[in-house]
Amino acid sequence: MIETIRKLAEAYGPSGREEDVHRIVLEELKNHIDGYKFDRVGNLIVWKDGKSGKKVMLDAHSDEIGLVVTNIDKNGFLRVETVGGVPPHPYVGQRVKFPQCTGIVYVEGETSQDMKKNFSNLSFDVMYVDIGASSYEEAQKVAPIGTFGVYDSRFMQNGDFLTSKAMDDRVGCAVVIEVLKRLNSPNNTVYCSFSTQEEIGLMGARVAGYDIMPEACIAIDVTASSDTPKAFKRHAMVLKKGPAIKVKDRASISDRKIVDKLIELAEESGIPYQMEVLIMGGTNAAAFQATASGIASATVSIPTRYVHTPSETVHLDDIKNCVNLLIEYVQKGV
Amino acid sequence: MLYLKELTEIGGVSGDESRVRDFIASKIKDKVDETHVDKLGNLIALKKGKKNGKRFLLTAHMDEIGFMVTNIEDDGTLSFSPIGGVDPRVVPGKRVKIADKVTGVIGYKAIHLQKKEEIFKVPAFENLRIYIGTDSKEASSKLVNIGDSVVFTTEYREENGKATGKAFDDRAGCSVMMDLIDNIDRYDFDVYFAFLVQEEVGLRGSAVIAEQIQPDVAIVLEGTTAGDNPEVPEYKWATHIGDGPAVTFMHRGYVVSSKVVQNIMSIAQKNGIPYQAKRRTAGGTDAARLAGTWRGVPSGVISVPSRYIHSPVSMIDLNDYHNTVRLVEKILDEGEVFFK
Repeated sequence: MIETIRKLAEAYGPSGREEDVHRIVLEELKNHIDGYKFDRVGNLIVWKDGKSGKKVMLDAHSDEIGLVVTNIDKNGFLRVETVGGVPPHPYVGQRVKFPQCTGIVYVEGETSQDMKKNFSNLSFDVMYVDIGASSYEEAQKVAPIGTFGVYDSRFMQNGDFLTSKAMDDRVGCAVVIEVLKRLNSPNNTVYCSFSTQEEIGLMGARVAGYDIMPEACIAIDVTASSDTPKAFKRHAMVLKKGPAIKVKDRASISDRKIVDKLIELAEESGIPYQMEVLIMGGTNAAAFQATASGIASATVSIPTRYVHTPSETVHLDDIKNCVNLLIEYVQKGV
Repeated sequence: MLYLKELTEIGGVSGDESRVRDFIASKIKDKVDETHVDKLGNLIALKKGKKNGKRFLLTAHMDEIGFMVTNIEDDGTLSFSPIGGVDPRVVPGKRVKIADKVTGVIGYKAIHLQKKEEIFKVPAFENLRIYIGTDSKEASSKLVNIGDSVVFTTEYREENGKATGKAFDDRAGCSVMMDLIDNIDRYDFDVYFAFLVQEEVGLRGSAVIAEQIQPDVAIVLEGTTAGDNPEVPEYKWATHIGDGPAVTFMHRGYVVSSKVVQNIMSIAQKNGIPYQAKRRTAGGTDAARLAGTWRGVPSGVISVPSRYIHSPVSMIDLNDYHNTVRLVEKILDEGEVFFK
């Protein structure tokens, strides 16, 4: 499973450009599903037939945050804007990977005072990308306006701590893949969406939900953690304590019946879990709840350190226990 | 370009688009196969295809930014609040029309009475009033009502290959669609034209379009930000007027399908029509709604670059306008590539 996570996390897939991720998902799943399709906004939807006549859905978004080239100056330096909620700070001195080249991101400033000001009010307005081009024309050849880039970051393992860019939400994709691999003759038909454009506004999930209209849907996504020095005090989530059953974030309140069922199943099977109330953020559950005539939806999260940086860090135990809990749910939950 | 002048001079704040809709309907009804107004007020026209099958949707929104009367004061002046994103710096000292009948002036303290530091402060909407030449609540109440819409009264003009006027966002798009209705032949596929309401207050009209029409592809026609002012460095411009229609690759809430962007750009190149990439990602269009409702409609955005939008007067380059019409016409001519 670690190798699958590595492959998925290192793949290039900013919002709207999820094709590589979908290719990896399909390779992993080709012998484990009864069918798949790509819908009109690029969502990959796979399924495994059950006997009960009921549909249950799992969702993990396939896109990641990124940058997009919006302007190129006459000396070949790029200006970029964000794709999703990208903080500027991790990008200082960081490399950004475009499909045809890699660039270095840095901060402008003509005096030390300028520099100080720009660093303390850091924004992409005062940052540029250097791709080793010397003219507009040269840059436009390899990174034309409208080119999407992602963190240039490698997968790393420290014991059972796994670190990479885009754990948000490739770790969710890996969980869903593992559930499908281990699920033999499911009771309920299980649909899984690897949905597009989550980071810029839950775009793909609205369409996937409308299309499938399952009895219940669980989004698997990352959440914040509070187990680092002077971390956000009002959050309870920590690594190694199990998957987090989300009660609420800023975009959705989880369906209470699903939450209660998840707790019940975890208790019954002795699967460690923790409860989650996230003060910020949102997941595709919000989109599922509000599409068509509404889908009962919840989120199960993998607690993650350093979300939206090149070094999003998760723990293998949480991932495995998340898989176990979801298998219980799709078999017995609806 | 028979309609742009009239279109921009009609008042049509979000939620009060009926005059724009009536004007458009009267001009197009004999040139299309069907028209209807849906429950939200969107005007939808259909030019049927020769073969049954695919559906190509073009949209533009009819509404414009403006204001609404919120209260009638004892002294006869009107309090108001903005509808859509209006920059408060461009509001004082403008002539407006209320409910399409009463002319008013947005007043503010005369410069003689202001302290130096006051002059450069942006007035809050709560400190601005509209004067309609009455001096009592009673007199004003006979002329206007709370909830009446308020628009700028800018006349349309053409000079030096440029047009100036109000509401190019998005009467330019409406006008492009009307020109197309005048000019295009019948295609194999159905062509739907949707003139939409309430875009400026949150893409509301378009929310009910995808399921209603069920199109295979959509192109949203807009008047978009130029931002090519001299005080802004060139690498921060969104578009530059005169450089051709702007093609959007991403904006708020939606990364445009790369296939749609590629198709638009290669059709422009093949036909020698100038175009530019829209180079900022702020702001959204109805494309985000069309892509995210129903089963998802792959949607592109093509815009006429417009300086100083969301203000009483903006400016477009007429070549950009004509090239937008040409480009969309060629897109329809080669429409089949969008269904592959």
